[in-house]
Amino acid sequence: MAGLSLEHIGKKYPNGYEGVKDFNLEIADKEFIIFVGPSGCGKSTTLRMIAGLEDITSGTLKIDGRVVNDVEPKDRDIAMVFQNYALYPHMTVYDNMAFPMKLRKAPQAEIDKAVREAARILDLEKLLDRKPSALSGGQRQRVAMGRAIVRNPKVYLMDEPLSNLDAKLRVQMRAEISKLHDRLGATIIYVTHDQTEAMTLGTRIVVMKDGVMQQVDTPSKLYGEPCNLFVAGFIGSPQMNFIDAAVGEAAGKVTLTFGKNVITLPDAKGKVLKDKGYVGKVVVAGIRPEDVVDSNEYSEHKNLSETIDAVVTVYELLGSEAMIYADVDGGAISSHVSATNPARVGSRIKVAFDVDKLHVFDKQSELAIVH
Amino acid sequence: MANLAMAKNGSDRNRTFMLILIPVLVLFVAFNTFPLLTGFFYSFTDSKGYGAFNIVGVQNYLDLFSDARVLNSYLFTFKVAVVATLGTNIISLILAIGLSSKIKFKSALRGLYFVPRILGGLVVGYVFSYFFTYIVPAITGTESILASTEWAWVAIVIVVVWQACAQTTIIYLTGLSSVPEDVYEAGALDGATGWDKFRYITFPLIMPSVTTNMVLVMKDMLMVFDQIVSMTSGGPAQSTESISYLIYNNGLAGGQFGYQCANAVIFFILIAVVSILQTKFLNSKEEQL
Repeated sequence: MAGLSLEHIGKKYPNGYEGVKDFNLEIADKEFIIFVGPSGCGKSTTLRMIAGLEDITSGTLKIDGRVVNDVEPKDRDIAMVFQNYALYPHMTVYDNMAFPMKLRKAPQAEIDKAVREAARILDLEKLLDRKPSALSGGQRQRVAMGRAIVRNPKVYLMDEPLSNLDAKLRVQMRAEISKLHDRLGATIIYVTHDQTEAMTLGTRIVVMKDGVMQQVDTPSKLYGEPCNLFVAGFIGSPQMNFIDAAVGEAAGKVTLTFGKNVITLPDAKGKVLKDKGYVGKVVVAGIRPEDVVDSNEYSEHKNLSETIDAVVTVYELLGSEAMIYADVDGGAISSHVSATNPARVGSRIKVAFDVDKLHVFDKQSELAIVH
Repeated sequence: MANLAMAKNGSDRNRTFMLILIPVLVLFVAFNTFPLLTGFFYSFTDSKGYGAFNIVGVQNYLDLFSDARVLNSYLFTFKVAVVATLGTNIISLILAIGLSSKIKFKSALRGLYFVPRILGGLVVGYVFSYFFTYIVPAITGTESILASTEWAWVAIVIVVVWQACAQTTIIYLTGLSSVPEDVYEAGALDGATGWDKFRYITFPLIMPSVTTNMVLVMKDMLMVFDQIVSMTSGGPAQSTESISYLIYNNGLAGGQFGYQCANAVIFFILIAVVSILQTKFLNSKEEQL
């Protein structure tokens, strides 16, 4: 296993389009790194550059300290799991998994041992004689994993490996991959557009947009302290509420005003806004749905704001809990409530923000001011 | 009411289908099935192609097996067919791999390589006849190979391969484009590059195209005719007399109509058997994807 180092990596296509811009990242041994972002953000391109399937047009890529920019994919000691599995359709499951070792002229006994071990780990023992066409999506996915494991590579690359599976299987395989990471102690780089996968699997997450790295952090930091509006909106489902609010000052306290609603910020947050000269300006207030609390569910543990009147427009029962979407003066908000909450469409309710969890962003630069 | 309307619509459609099909069927029967059956009948006669004739039973068939000229034409035809089929397929596959790679002027080159297909066999034959008779000897200072009983067949092979490569290459190009890119990428990571990539990934995955091409080209080559007419007329000394040419020449111009009809029936059965055997053998090599 090994660490990776990406220094100023860039990808510029012949037509001048820059797919990836100045990408810098140190990946430690045994890390589970996730590249996440919307379609076309450059996450797959970055992964394919690491694999050697795309040329790196600028910057330096090191695997285990060795510069590999011009090294053939097969000599980089990496294995990749593709979105469409990319199994060899004319080979059996056994041969698919044995293929990389066979090409490396490994002794037959060694190949057999490695393939059977991988098959055991992935529960493929009964399918070894089948062709990929006779397998279900989940089974194919496991064979693709198996082919990677057999190689015992320094780094595993996974390009949206779960996106072709149905929802239930995806959750199941997510847990399997997590277990596999613990078991193999492998360095894994994993590309996904699904932020749930990113949050549950990664030791660190790289959020990308338009070829530019936005933030690299642990899942909890990314969720709790997003560096800008994009990250705040991308991570978390349903997404964070954003409301344009004017910063004011009353009786020594800093307030946010939207419509006729005024909420008072805790002193620490207020001080940051005041020190940075935001009083009198418009900012974007961000608050996650679980931090918008219905008056029926006030708890003593939260530092709640003043009450805000809201009219419910959509009610979604999710099972153990429910989502409420409501109009407030000066904006719209969503709120996580318990399934027993009596509010329905048209209900007039009162909510309050947990101001400890309130994020404030600059409206122009979109960068976070205070969390 | 709705049902009635539908039934009426249905019969209208049937009538349209019939109107399209019947003329073609009539033409097919008149110019293909009927001559085939008459030919089969004449193979049991001593017809010269005109005038009176007698039924001779299977005598024509018995005579065929002891006719050295017929035997030679079979040997020549199969020699040309086997060599040309292998040659065409190997060259076409190499061309197709080249034309499917990332090169400049790919579309233009694909068009260019298809040109031989749209030229008639006779045209190509006469052009190459000129080439082998005047140009090649002028350069090498030797006698034309078309005049050599030993080497004239090679000239025939060169011409039929040159012309057959066009269509065969197109079929291989289609086969190659059906191999998913990510399978090659997985191969690149697993270490399948160069010859290994072709042997373990490309070739097994285009096996259906190989079957198609082998059968089609073999059939065409066994029926080689135009190039013989235009280049050698079966000579020198009957050394390039293909079966089709012999049937045509002796059957229509040589007064052996009934006899060559028998030859044609044997030839028809032989081509059918060869094609079936080829398909069976190659199908067993095709991977069930």
